[in-house]
Amino acid sequence: MPALTDITNKIRESAKKLLASGQAEVVIGYRQGTIPMTTSPFFARTADECDLLVWSNFARINLANYLPGRAGKVAMVAKGCDARSAIGQVTENQILKDNLYIIGVPCTGMIDTNLVVAKEARPIREVVETADDSITVKGQGFSTDIKKDEVLRRNCKTCVNRTPKLANELVGQEVNGAAADDFADIKALLAKTPAERMGYFKDLIKDCLRCYACRNACPLCYCPVCFVDETRPQWLGKSTDPMDTMTFHLLRGLHCAGRCTSCGACETACPVNIKVREFNRVMELTVQNNWNYEPGLSWDQKPPLTMFQTDDAADFIK
Amino acid sequence: MQAALDLANAGYYVYMVEKSLAIGGRMSQLDKTFPTNDCSMCIISPKLVEVGRHINIELLTLTDILSITGSEGNFTVNVRKNPRYIDMSKCIACGECTKKCPRKVDNAYNENLDKRKAIYVQYAQAVPLKYGIDASECMYLTKKKCGSCKKVCPADAINYDDKPEDASFKVGSVVLAPGFAPFKPSEFETYRYDTKDVITALEFERYLGATGPTMGEVVRPSDGAHPHKMAFLQCVGSRDINRADNGYCSSVCCMYAIKEALIAKEHSGGKLDVTIFYMDIRTFGKDFERYYEKAKAAGIKFVRSRVHTVKPEPPAGVKIGYVSDGGVSAEEFFDLAVLSHGLVITPETKEMSANLGIQTDGYNFARTSTFSPVALSRPGFYACGVYTGPKDIPTSVMEASAAAAAATSKLTPARSTLTKVINIPAPVDVTGEPPRVGVFVCRCGINIASVIDVEKVVEFAKTLPFVEYAAVTMFACSQDSQEKIVSLIKEFRLNRIVVSACSPRTHEPLFQETLAAAGLNKYLYEMANIRNHDSWVHANNPAEATRKAMDMTEMAVAKAALLVPLKENVIDVDPTALVIGGGVAGLNAAMSLSSQGFKSVVVEKDDKIGGQANRILSTVKGENVAKYIEGLKAKIADDPNISLALQAEVDSVEGYVGNFETTLSNGDKVKHGVTIIATGAKEYKPTEYLYGQNPQVVTQLELDELLKANDPKAIDSNTFVFIQCVGSREPGRMYCSKVCCAHTVHAAVELKKLKPEARIFVLYRDIRTYAQKEDLYKEARGLGVIFVRYSIDDKPKVTESGGKLAVQILDPVSGRKLLINPDLVVLAAAIVSGRENELAMKYKVPLDEDGWFFEAHQKLRPVDFATDGMFLAGLAHYPKPMDEVIAQAQAAAARAVTVLTQPKMTVGGIVAEINQTKCSGCGVCVSVCPFSAISLDEKGKSVVNEAMCKGCGNCASSCRSDAPSLRGFTNAGLFAQIASAL
Amino acid sequence: MSDFEPRIVAFFCNWCTYGAADLAGVSRLDYPPNFRVVRLPCTGRLNPKFIMEAFKRGADGVWVSGCHPGDCHYIAGNYHARRKFVLMHQLLESIGVEPDRLRFSWISSAEANKFQAMARDVVEHVKACGPNTTFRKEDLKLGLAEVA
Repeated sequence: MPALTDITNKIRESAKKLLASGQAEVVIGYRQGTIPMTTSPFFARTADECDLLVWSNFARINLANYLPGRAGKVAMVAKGCDARSAIGQVTENQILKDNLYIIGVPCTGMIDTNLVVAKEARPIREVVETADDSITVKGQGFSTDIKKDEVLRRNCKTCVNRTPKLANELVGQEVNGAAADDFADIKALLAKTPAERMGYFKDLIKDCLRCYACRNACPLCYCPVCFVDETRPQWLGKSTDPMDTMTFHLLRGLHCAGRCTSCGACETACPVNIKVREFNRVMELTVQNNWNYEPGLSWDQKPPLTMFQTDDAADFIK
Repeated sequence: MQAALDLANAGYYVYMVEKSLAIGGRMSQLDKTFPTNDCSMCIISPKLVEVGRHINIELLTLTDILSITGSEGNFTVNVRKNPRYIDMSKCIACGECTKKCPRKVDNAYNENLDKRKAIYVQYAQAVPLKYGIDASECMYLTKKKCGSCKKVCPADAINYDDKPEDASFKVGSVVLAPGFAPFKPSEFETYRYDTKDVITALEFERYLGATGPTMGEVVRPSDGAHPHKMAFLQCVGSRDINRADNGYCSSVCCMYAIKEALIAKEHSGGKLDVTIFYMDIRTFGKDFERYYEKAKAAGIKFVRSRVHTVKPEPPAGVKIGYVSDGGVSAEEFFDLAVLSHGLVITPETKEMSANLGIQTDGYNFARTSTFSPVALSRPGFYACGVYTGPKDIPTSVMEASAAAAAATSKLTPARSTLTKVINIPAPVDVTGEPPRVGVFVCRCGINIASVIDVEKVVEFAKTLPFVEYAAVTMFACSQDSQEKIVSLIKEFRLNRIVVSACSPRTHEPLFQETLAAAGLNKYLYEMANIRNHDSWVHANNPAEATRKAMDMTEMAVAKAALLVPLKENVIDVDPTALVIGGGVAGLNAAMSLSSQGFKSVVVEKDDKIGGQANRILSTVKGENVAKYIEGLKAKIADDPNISLALQAEVDSVEGYVGNFETTLSNGDKVKHGVTIIATGAKEYKPTEYLYGQNPQVVTQLELDELLKANDPKAIDSNTFVFIQCVGSREPGRMYCSKVCCAHTVHAAVELKKLKPEARIFVLYRDIRTYAQKEDLYKEARGLGVIFVRYSIDDKPKVTESGGKLAVQILDPVSGRKLLINPDLVVLAAAIVSGRENELAMKYKVPLDEDGWFFEAHQKLRPVDFATDGMFLAGLAHYPKPMDEVIAQAQAAAARAVTVLTQPKMTVGGIVAEINQTKCSGCGVCVSVCPFSAISLDEKGKSVVNEAMCKGCGNCASSCRSDAPSLRGFTNAGLFAQIASAL
Repeated sequence: MSDFEPRIVAFFCNWCTYGAADLAGVSRLDYPPNFRVVRLPCTGRLNPKFIMEAFKRGADGVWVSGCHPGDCHYIAGNYHARRKFVLMHQLLESIGVEPDRLRFSWISSAEANKFQAMARDVVEHVKACGPNTTFRKEDLKLGLAEVA
């Protein structure tokens, strides 16, 4: 049986059991999207609804986004990164650990549809996901096999925590992590001149509409009032001034520092394909270098901005 | 200062008599303090200001005590106020006089390393910040020539005709804190203090100080070059009866030498070789041993040797001759030699003691007993600080609070009868009114106006939004200006006030009082510092300075317009204390509170009170502990203010300062206003030296118990081996247990007295009989107790064969192995903390890595926790001998009284508040609050406890959704400032 | 470039660096008049947004200074602040804000000389960067409207 089908079956089986036993009042998972290469979040409350749950190469949304503030017992289907987000939310009091059941899926990476389209520009009507290491996209008069490796999202290529080890249960075989993000591109960027770097980042966000889709997709962005909507004082001008856009991305980067699990939901959500995670990655690199911290790897981690060491290094402070 | 503050805050009126121009004492001269390397001035200066501004502390500077007559409860103090030649009410401390004064004098504050003028302030942060004239140096006062200060003083404050004035006042008790002088090494030829490159440690401290003669640069005095090699010579004028008659140990020199060595190394970018020549390193206080280890790791060399010769090596530097451990003579060149001189009682203090009838010891320190460590021989007289023996700052501060408690224990009926309270009119409610800002631009005589075009600033201010009134004042802080401001507030219905003048750090409280007097909420005030930050530093650029003053005024107005009145609320205080731990510390705290009229509940987990003291035979002064404990127990039993809960522990805790409710394991619920943690510590159970395997190996406390019981095991033994530092000063327990050396030496002396033929060996690493306890060490040596040093890498070996014990040790002096067959081996086992993690969590107070409770500030707040209403005493804080335990317990009581004595507490003002609609409950603010003032409520949203919030604003800057805001420093207000700055 | 006078916003904590600036005044230690001080109770109060706001409004440089680690009047305020500084420093440097435009320092209330030296150094370095034309709003006529 293809791995994806096997996982789908196990998710359904587990979901039914959880609902039946009362261990969960709702199971948050994915169901097939209405257009090819998409899935949508789905809240299963009955056994019948459980049969709509699927696993796919396109389960890119981070379902931890639906946890904050949720009362009652809830189960979620989670990739490695999603589970880490959920664990982070437990540490940040967004959901009680006892109310949360993580159906962990050892993940082999999600597919970036833009990369698929780059390989097969013709309109795609259907995707076949029966093979483990490739997909087949079909359209009018064509059927193209595409190697999964070649179209993985960039965050999935450097994911070391593919198996959600802290999940309540694992559906599927543990998978090995990929090579860690070595931040080579960021480091190369830092070697350039300030003007070149400024140019790079300004160019990066030049198309930003400030639709805030990235924020909405992000499981870290659960604030009741986001700083972008603040009026007294107004943190962010409502104008189209690029500095306001830049401010948004910088502050979002700061807010995600030490919390981002590189799930890529923001980049997936961006309608104009901005690599918004670039800001987060600068912060992740800083957090790792300075405080050797990666979020969501244990239940009792203290996020780096809630604590300090008296001998924290900060040589730039004179 | 601490004693005065504790007294004044406990409802007593305090006269503070100081000989010099200003308060602050020795600490104001220090650069950094050990072991945290805190900046000395930074931490003392808020205390200076608090004393200076306290309505119930009357500061009498330049004042000598002539006599004190009467008895406890009714003393008459006769004093002489010496002339300052400056009218303190007029002096604005602008410093114009000093600039013009032609007479240069050695600057005692900088240990005479540089010059000051004949008209001067002791140091820049002095309190009171008023100038004074040195009459013996002033050319006008000595020769009727000059008079330039009078000419330039913009405030007409100079009064050459000032005369000494005698006065007398009545007090109930007297606290003596005359301090010390550093030993003057000039009496010693050996150390060649007459050579330029031999200086004292206090002189070196001034070199290291940012306000010192070289502004922190380490130099060789003879030629100003940067030294490559320097040496510290320990015990100069201490532990020396041959040349100095000072047999005692000065207690602080080892630590300050290490501190200065570390800082000197830091200042020189590590390119400095430092050697410390010592006899024993005495790093016995909290975190001191780690500091010593840190110094070793930083490459500071420690050489155990008393230097015998210092030879000047012209043109610069000295050669130091010493005999090293193995008996080898050596000579080494150093660029600079620092003499770690001890602390001595001055002749004036000696004379004062005699005049006041205070008994002193052979070294002129005032006598006290272990059980009443701050009471002097004359009833009604109490002491703190070095007057009773050499000690460091935290111990002095602890004693100060203890003295405050002891000094008022018999004065309770008089509490709050003589103190003053400030009456202010109820503020007018300005909520909803549009801002009407009044701007006052101060000329400060010529201090501001000579550089800044103040008229232009006023005209500009008038154009700013919401400004209704703007004017220039001559001295905004003067009495008449203050009254004028009050009437203008009323006339123009001003509801926000901006003063463009000097620093809010010194003057904000004054102007806030003015607002209050005008019926305006005192928080509707903002200041622009156009003097310190502008006219004084941009004198060469009047145009830019004026522009800056305009910007600064605009910034202040912009912020002021957004200010809102801040409420201060009152909360009730439950006048009861919960004391956790029924040992000597807890019981003394309860007794001290009772003498002040406050009830306490003492919780003890054992079935009897007394704690570890139940096991101790006698104090190092020879006082019988069992008798003392018996007396204490009887007193406690008879005291209606003290109730005991035996075999009980703390179950759960709710509430905060003033209103705690603690549930005990026996089900009792106790309502209390403060909590004192005095949970003590334990003796370490050794696993080394055959302890637990051979019955003739015992711990120190076990020996005490044997002796108490006249047990033949101890009494009939003839050869004793004491092993020091068992479980202390080692990785995993890197601290000194502080009491063992004195305890061992005392036991050895007692045994020798009991059995002169006994052979007693003490195996030690450093003997740490600090302060006057050094005499005991000397006595033990005199009685023939043999001291053999060992190093941590080559510990003594205890073996057993056929029931006979054998101890092997390498004698470092002879280089030979010694073999001793003792009858009894006594282990100076470490004191280990109880690691009260659960208790700490319940009261939200921290523990350090060794499990000791962690005080609010190691130097100046040794018995307070950062969390309000929480105090600590005794061994729970750190190992210490009984006199220090009792002092700390009394200190904790004194600090507790400052809370308990007020039936209501004012809270609020500049504190944080939470906008719960924006709160996600993520808990960041809870984690970053240093005062545990924020918690999550039942809805999972943050709430601030105003009684605990200190207004730092950490929460407001850490929250991603800006749910917390800091009143008085809101985001909107600060944004307005940023906007108008640009 | 030599006649360019930078505009710098400084954030000082009340207890240490603001005190050092006071003491520099008492000691008449002169330094260039290019910065304007926003007084905070503690560097722990410094929201990173304040730094952004200053640049956004056209500041050529920002200077943040407080108590040395361990000296905080509020015990731990500057320890928490230091972590925020690390992020802010790294983030702005990474996106190409000239490092010399943003200065962090620890200056105790006794270090008037360090204050003077630092003030001169900050102004000199910002001056060398030239006017801030890239990391600010295009139109600076923002007024107070956006604030209140």
